[in-house]
Amino acid sequence: MKIGIYFCTCGSTIAEKIDSAAVMEAAKTFPDHPYVTTVAFICSEEGKLQFEEHLRAEQPERVVVAACSPREHEATFRRCLANAGLNPYLLQLVNIREQIAWVTEDAALATEKAISAIRGAVSRVRLQQPLEKQQLEVCADTLVVGAGPAGMKAALALAEAGRSVTVVERTPFIGGLPVRFEELFPALECAPCMLEPLMGDLLHGECAERIELLTMAELVEVTGFYGNFNAKIRQKPRHVSLHECIGCGECVEACPAATMNDFKNSAVERKAIDFAFAGVLPNAPFLLEEVCVRSRGEKCRACKDACPMGEDVVNLDEGETMVERRVGAIIVATGAGLYDASLVAGMGMGTLPDVYDGLQFERLLSSTGPTNGDIVTRDGKAPSSVAIIHCVGSLDDEHKPYCSGICCQYAFTFNHLIAARLPETTITHYHRELVVPGKAAHTLFSHCAHSPQTRLKRYDRIRDIVVGQGGDGRLQVSAAGEANPVDMVILCPAVTPARGADALAALLDVSCDPFGFFRELHGRVDAAQSTIKGIYLAGACQEPMDIRSAMLQGMASVGHALAGLQPGRTIDIEPITAEVDETHCAGCRLCISVCPYRAISFDTERNASRINAVLCHGCGTCVAACPAGAITGHHFTNAQIMAEIKGVLS
Amino acid sequence: MTTPHGFEPKIIGFLCTWCSYAGADKAGGMQTPYPPNVQVIRVMCSGRVDPQFILSAFQNGADGVVILACHPGDCHYKEGNCRALQRHRLLRLMLEPFGVEHERLMLDYVSAGEGEKFRKVISETVAAVRQLGPLRLQQNGTLDDPTETLHSYNRQ
Repeated sequence: MKIGIYFCTCGSTIAEKIDSAAVMEAAKTFPDHPYVTTVAFICSEEGKLQFEEHLRAEQPERVVVAACSPREHEATFRRCLANAGLNPYLLQLVNIREQIAWVTEDAALATEKAISAIRGAVSRVRLQQPLEKQQLEVCADTLVVGAGPAGMKAALALAEAGRSVTVVERTPFIGGLPVRFEELFPALECAPCMLEPLMGDLLHGECAERIELLTMAELVEVTGFYGNFNAKIRQKPRHVSLHECIGCGECVEACPAATMNDFKNSAVERKAIDFAFAGVLPNAPFLLEEVCVRSRGEKCRACKDACPMGEDVVNLDEGETMVERRVGAIIVATGAGLYDASLVAGMGMGTLPDVYDGLQFERLLSSTGPTNGDIVTRDGKAPSSVAIIHCVGSLDDEHKPYCSGICCQYAFTFNHLIAARLPETTITHYHRELVVPGKAAHTLFSHCAHSPQTRLKRYDRIRDIVVGQGGDGRLQVSAAGEANPVDMVILCPAVTPARGADALAALLDVSCDPFGFFRELHGRVDAAQSTIKGIYLAGACQEPMDIRSAMLQGMASVGHALAGLQPGRTIDIEPITAEVDETHCAGCRLCISVCPYRAISFDTERNASRINAVLCHGCGTCVAACPAGAITGHHFTNAQIMAEIKGVLS
Repeated sequence: MTTPHGFEPKIIGFLCTWCSYAGADKAGGMQTPYPPNVQVIRVMCSGRVDPQFILSAFQNGADGVVILACHPGDCHYKEGNCRALQRHRLLRLMLEPFGVEHERLMLDYVSAGEGEKFRKVISETVAAVRQLGPLRLQQNGTLDDPTETLHSYNRQ
């Protein structure tokens, strides 16, 4: 086998420590007696051309370059091989600069070490095989799960780029949690007003035709992998056609059945057919089957008859539908929930009246909420004193050890709104750590800190605080020996993943962190990618975050989808992956348990593991784990590595 | 290899490409010398280090082996370094009856920024193995058949 060794002197950098003449002499004893050529600066433009020309003239079957670190120039020299008509994987680079010349005092020892290293590389390169990148046909369409800020932002950006998007939303409306809020930190912007342009574009904008919105829908099955997912979506019947309904509300008027409205803290009734709340988008009501009198066998069709748009808008017999979509990427944007504050002892949640968590209080503040935005107690009176308790379950090893990051800021927003609407009301914040990051959050905090209506009281442990009822029937917050009579308590519970995140994670086969948030590929470098290729994360499903961060992460996830998948273009599959030899696989599935990327599945019919090259990252952990030696790690095979070991030691 | 120290051990270093190999390059950039006794075998992940490689290294004349991985929690492949650690712990125990002292099979963590730590770990490993002297595999435990040894390891 003809092997060429290219020895880069790196000017004098390598040459002054490693004697190229000695290397040439030693090479005569190497397997296959390779030729040795010295080049002054092989990575320079001139050096690369010289290298390529020499390769073309000599036509070696394998190439060893003794130069600098492969981390710096392996890709460069592989390209040179390709330019010279050789397979780029027939190259082995020996790092004689960073790891020998620069760190060995004695020139004779450096030369000796370099000769051993090059001998190892020659022994290894003889066994290297030409590898080809495989091409994979892909679908560039994307599925977005969740139509909150992150999901909407992602869907719109994808549609603007010409991509087709399917948005799956569990609730009957879009806008996520914040669309239910009144004013937002840090600038006290009206939440629905802020989201309106996005929601409008999503439903009726210039790119809306490329966005398919499925409300009251849930992902039930996903098969396939990056570039070629097949998603099954179950859509519950809305009983109202989104395309034909004009949102006039005639059907609501006519409906004879009612229940308590979840979106109004269950304090106000809604009809069986009704809007979630005023101004909701899409502007169409939905029918709660279990509340409709038809569920009791009555033959009512009052809503259908009341509809001015004709017979087809309200469909009382509509059933569940299954929708299947082929997509190349999936963006998970399922948002956040709140920790159940009733699990934190002494908070009075669920047992005492006028104790609200952050989300319930947002609804109370909202002009579309149960009181149309009036801050009143259950008795309908304005509270003269309010307590806001921070860190309920956050920074707490018994509940959630992490800081939820957003609570202080919304607590100070509440403070501002209460103070503005009720100038006589006193507000006491019970806080542990105050978290007001960034350049804007301090404004609300300092307003609060300087307000004569507001007191800030620090506590150490949540168990030092007890919400109870005083003798006069009023609420009372006891902390550090002081009993504070109040009329309303607002709790800021830990931010958690949204309900159902665990089931979705299981369905997608992506991993979650110990708190149930979707685990990112890397906390800083790749926070918008899940551990599964082609499944991206956007918003508070990944960790507690504010709207700004959720929108940004929505865009970041789109970046991945746009960069990776392009219509009509195939994707390259890296050849440095692992492969199972079915004839040797004993079916123990150890490889499946060690693979961090779920790239290995088990073929029960053939009784063998199978590695999906698209998902494999080529780490080789399974190769080392396989007790039968049935897995080959391409370009890092057992034989290649053992040959290198023997080569450097002989 | 002989120098003023007398015995100079041959050591094989398995370095993962992302952290410890980058740490070795960083040490190179600092241009502070360290003993030349360690020959580096680059792998994508320390999780790729098959116990067979280590047995093969000892069998072919290495006096010591050092595996350098990403710090726990920093593995480029998430947990390959944990697999390396598990295998290392077992293999150390298994090699003891063959006369392979623990110091001959080291595992440590070097990040891409820890050039100085790399230099230190290499220097200490070389010094420790130099102290032990050449590896002499014991009679009752020749490593003639690493595959069989490996299988017994896997059965544990």
